[in-house]
Amino acid sequence: MDIAEVLKHTSSDLFLPDLQATDKTSALKELVAGLASGINLKNPDTILQMLQSREELGSTAVGPGVAFPHGRTLAVQELKILLARSTAGVDFDSEDGEPTHLFFVLVAPPQDMGHQYIKSLATLIDTIQDAGLREKLMAADNYEAFCAALKGE
Amino acid sequence: MHPQLQLLVALQDMMGMIREIEEQGSELEDMGFKTEGLEKLKEAQAELEAKIDPQLMGQFRRLTKKFGRAVVPVIGNSCTGCFAQIPTSFVSKTNAGRLQRCESCGRILYWP
Repeated sequence: MDIAEVLKHTSSDLFLPDLQATDKTSALKELVAGLASGINLKNPDTILQMLQSREELGSTAVGPGVAFPHGRTLAVQELKILLARSTAGVDFDSEDGEPTHLFFVLVAPPQDMGHQYIKSLATLIDTIQDAGLREKLMAADNYEAFCAALKGE
Repeated sequence: MHPQLQLLVALQDMMGMIREIEEQGSELEDMGFKTEGLEKLKEAQAELEAKIDPQLMGQFRRLTKKFGRAVVPVIGNSCTGCFAQIPTSFVSKTNAGRLQRCESCGRILYWP
């Protein structure tokens, strides 16, 4: 799956350019609130609980300054990806102890039989390894510029 | 949403996550994700189960054994488990705090 395919699951309504939270609990709440607002979710608490459970398994902050909160839930009917950025950085229990600045939140329905979200996750993780790209994402002025940088344009 | 339904949905999501880690954990670990908290998650599952009414929990277990997933979303007025039409009156009853089951297959219904 290429990055353009992955980005079909997001939109400008699912872009949070400047998270205010600085700790993990507040950041998850802010991310879920953004998701709820972007796709008109009736039951955001269900997603919050699922993402919190996922973090219990181990922090999803696995990239350099990047986290990928993710999971499957009945609360969504198709794969949705929220893109978020924090200038100040969030203490997200990353392995290297450094603050997390970029967030890619992936939520998929249980019946995602083609494992679209696992494939999307793998593509995003591969793409984000480029330090130059991460700098461009932090500097992007808007959603369009953020996506263009991800696509290498 | 009915508080017990919210717990059932959270439980089913959590069970799916545990199953995914057990079946596809290595794929996720290859991507760099840690899964050392699996036992902790199983403990959280047991804690969640203890909060659910025992009779409802029994129904949930029977339905899970029979169908794989006990709770299913209603999309476009259809049960996504068996695709039977769900009367629109069910929505208002659910909003009023009642749990609803599909009249055709018996699965517990959830309006996402």
